[in-house]
Amino acid sequence: MTAVVQRDIPRRNVNPLVYADWVLIAASILLSVIGLVMVYSSTQHRLAFQGEDPNYFLVRQASFLVLGLGLMALMIYIDYRVLRDVSPVVYAATIGVLFLVLTPLGTTTRGSQARFELGILQFQPSELTKIVLILGVASFCYQYRGDLDAWRLAQALGLAAVPSGLILLQPDLGTALVIAFTLMGMLLVAGARPRHLGVIVLFAVTLLVGMVSVGALEEYQVDRLTSFVDQSSDLQASRYNLEQSKIAIGSGGVLGKGLFEGTQTSLSFVPEQHTDFIFTAVGEELGFVGAGVVLALFGVVVWRIWRLAQLARDPFGTLAAVGVLVMIAFQVFQNVGMSMGIMPITGIPLPFLSYGGSSMLASLAGVGLVVNIGMRRYT
Amino acid sequence: MNENSRLRILVVGVIVIALFSALFARLWYLQVISGDQYAAAAEGNRVRTVAREAPRGRILDRRGRILVDNRTANVVAVSRSLVGEEREHVVRELSELLRLPVAEIEDRLEDFRYADFRPIPVATEVDEATLVAIRERQDDLPGVEAIQSAVRVYPYGHLAAHVLGYVGEINDQELEDRKDEGYELGNTIGKVGVERAYETDLRGVPGVEFYEVDRAGGVVRELGEREAEQGDDVQLGVDLDAQLAAEDALLDFITIAREGGRPATGGAVVALDATSGAVVAMASYPTFEPAGFVHGIRTEVWEQLNDPKSNLPLNNRAIQGLYPPGSTFKPVTAVAGLSTGVITPESTILDQGSIEIGGRRFRNAGGKSYGYVALPRALTVSSDVYFYSAAKAIDDLSAAQEEAIQDVALQFGFDQPTGIELPFEQDGRVPDRQWKRTVNHANPTAFPNADWFTGDTVNIGIGQGDLLVTPLQMVTSYAALANGGAVYRPHIGARVIDRFGAVVREVEAQAISEVTPIIEHPEWRQYMMSGLQGTVSNREGTAFNAFAGYSGPPVAAKTGTSQTAGREDTSLFVGTFPANAPKYVIAAVVEEGGAGSDIAAPIVRRVIESLVRTEADSSLPPIGTLIAPPPAETTSSTAPALPEDLVPDGLVPEPIPVPERKLDDEEPATE
Repeated sequence: MTAVVQRDIPRRNVNPLVYADWVLIAASILLSVIGLVMVYSSTQHRLAFQGEDPNYFLVRQASFLVLGLGLMALMIYIDYRVLRDVSPVVYAATIGVLFLVLTPLGTTTRGSQARFELGILQFQPSELTKIVLILGVASFCYQYRGDLDAWRLAQALGLAAVPSGLILLQPDLGTALVIAFTLMGMLLVAGARPRHLGVIVLFAVTLLVGMVSVGALEEYQVDRLTSFVDQSSDLQASRYNLEQSKIAIGSGGVLGKGLFEGTQTSLSFVPEQHTDFIFTAVGEELGFVGAGVVLALFGVVVWRIWRLAQLARDPFGTLAAVGVLVMIAFQVFQNVGMSMGIMPITGIPLPFLSYGGSSMLASLAGVGLVVNIGMRRYT
Repeated sequence: MNENSRLRILVVGVIVIALFSALFARLWYLQVISGDQYAAAAEGNRVRTVAREAPRGRILDRRGRILVDNRTANVVAVSRSLVGEEREHVVRELSELLRLPVAEIEDRLEDFRYADFRPIPVATEVDEATLVAIRERQDDLPGVEAIQSAVRVYPYGHLAAHVLGYVGEINDQELEDRKDEGYELGNTIGKVGVERAYETDLRGVPGVEFYEVDRAGGVVRELGEREAEQGDDVQLGVDLDAQLAAEDALLDFITIAREGGRPATGGAVVALDATSGAVVAMASYPTFEPAGFVHGIRTEVWEQLNDPKSNLPLNNRAIQGLYPPGSTFKPVTAVAGLSTGVITPESTILDQGSIEIGGRRFRNAGGKSYGYVALPRALTVSSDVYFYSAAKAIDDLSAAQEEAIQDVALQFGFDQPTGIELPFEQDGRVPDRQWKRTVNHANPTAFPNADWFTGDTVNIGIGQGDLLVTPLQMVTSYAALANGGAVYRPHIGARVIDRFGAVVREVEAQAISEVTPIIEHPEWRQYMMSGLQGTVSNREGTAFNAFAGYSGPPVAAKTGTSQTAGREDTSLFVGTFPANAPKYVIAAVVEEGGAGSDIAAPIVRRVIESLVRTEADSSLPPIGTLIAPPPAETTSSTAPALPEDLVPDGLVPEPIPVPERKLDDEEPATE
């Protein structure tokens, strides 16, 4: 049994913003701005064709970005230890909100009851649940300082199970998967025994297979999950979508067709292109060079978070940073992998780039939290 | 932070690096390695091509006058996929816009003739304003197409209908036959006549339009097009005036035959250029309106055209009608007799009106006796006894020569298609011993005798028995006699002209056979021609009365009145002129029309007179003019009035009315 021994980092009496990771912030904002352009590119033709304002999605996404930057600033400004201490309260409140979204107060979209309609804005609580859960799990685990026995592990799982279960009920399989992987990453770093984690993975896989076989998942969800296995058949709609997605990215070639010149994009061959399939617009219009830059920027974000996870002053900071890291890395891999046909199709947005306020807020809040942890390593 | 945690964070980092590497690898594969392939797929997604048929080439007469032209028709078509309320709505709206009863549109939509996958034309002659009105309301009229298409127009109505033929939608068989020529379902193709024979020239090159479409297949914009190239024009050897004279005369004398109590169920006239085989006129009665096939023929018209009571107006009797040639066949017997030596040009036979052969008495028509007749006079008066005797003498020869009549007939081109470009030509039949055995073997009930009798040869000698010929074969054989022995393949087309007026190709005269006896003995031909001249010029001649008052170049001719069991006589006549240097040969056949001298002869006379007149008429564009300037007044003599009396006998369908639907027609008259 190993005890986590706190490094003795000398405190410095300076403005912590001096130590803020501006590279991380810049990479995140750059990705968000690329996202803005791509959302515009993938929606303007269709909107113009329908006689609507081609800037509609652009303007909304820009407001989300401003809102997100505000939230990020707030997450940087409030000392993360305060966040740590209030996290149980926020956690309970979030669970309440997740209950509420399942009541008639929530709105059903495409079979998922996952949103609140707030005037012209929609709010999807499951996205922010990811951040709340990271805070909650981190504050639960850090007190054991790297010693998670079976009982403590079970408690941590139970903590995560309630919101995850509620999200699965919506059903929002994608977010539940993100939470599951984030949790696994955090538990690994928090000191869970490898064999315990093995058992959990085995259990989760059995549960998923069981759900598919007893029909607990909707047919379209099964289709989407399995279509990447047999990609040669184009009979089913999701296979068609996958094929169109691959054609879009592949046809971009090395240099791309040029911004706003993507035919797969402008002619709506790729479904949900401004949300889950935004990467196809990047691939088609900006080519291997542009898509590579986007992936590299994600690499920078993940690398900076990874670095700060190690520099953190306390295990809470390390765990929270690892949580954000896994959350973003898994979403990028899952989303981009899905667009390129190496991962199943699940409704997981690409952080920073996909259209959608809740996802934007969650990603920027996560980055803000990590920056917060990083810059207060000396205070 | 302890070492264990550090290690575990490292593990997370390594996993993340692995995942990102996988993404980069996949991205490389898709965009760099397979980029071209996916780019092609994206292009295929985006671009749809729509082929547009080219306007067909025109068909011209030998003086460059347009017999078949194109015009633009505004067509409103409705998709078959419309159902339920939407269809009700569309039909109601169209009924108002097109001023057609709802029931009529519904009938059209239910019509079985139209292919399943194509929009059904519900209105085919729509005025411009209505077309625009429908296009403007496209959103409200799903499945409705308002298009302009080039369709055939026939300035002379049903003139030369059988020669020109008609076009229609390509069928499965034609599609299969022409699968390498870029035809698609729904294309137009020549079905019969010149339209079919010269399909490749007339068709042109279809244009292609490239459209950008979205995922739903909706057209986003037009990317460009390759213009259709109009098909080449086909100039015929047919002369408009001769054709008109042939059809007029045929109708007039069929009417006369009917007034005389004969059924006269149909007939044909063919005029050839004896020196080349070019068809100058080809008429067949009853006939039809090719304009009725534009936009697809109406079911009731199609049924009427195929009703046996209508006497098969779609058949081109000139190439499909089979008739015993009767006395018009006698020159063949004469050549056979001369070449075997059973007769000489000047040897005589005593014609006492009949002759007994093999215990059977064969009589002259009408029982007349002509005394001593030699070959020329035998042809002039059409002595059957002379040719019975000659045929019997041939039949009595050795096995090598006993079928000399048949052999000569084959040299003249009988018992085989002439090879004219028009489809569905019949072979005819020249019976011989082998044939008789074969048909008896195949069908003993219909043909009880396998043995050949002398009587069979004797019957063939005067063009009877089982002998059958087409009018085109008759005229082709006489052309060979007239020109000194060359059998030319008859041809309708003279040349193909491209849309810039340059000649693409000439249809050359082609000799397919030779009648060797008359090439080797030109004097025989002289004797025969003088006898044939007597037919019209000699008081004894069988067509002397029919040519009473004729003042044109000398004509050499032969009448024929052939018998078919259970039917009235077939009236036949073949004439060639000028007799001293034959230029044209004209044959006429009227089935169940009576004596050749009464009906067929005056028809040929009218065609001859027309040809003589028009050859001398300097106001006409000369023969060989590629494109004649359009006549100044289309309604005057240059556009001949069509014989209106074709319609009442029920054999010729009424022309499909071309309704003029002008919007302001419907306005109440304000005085």
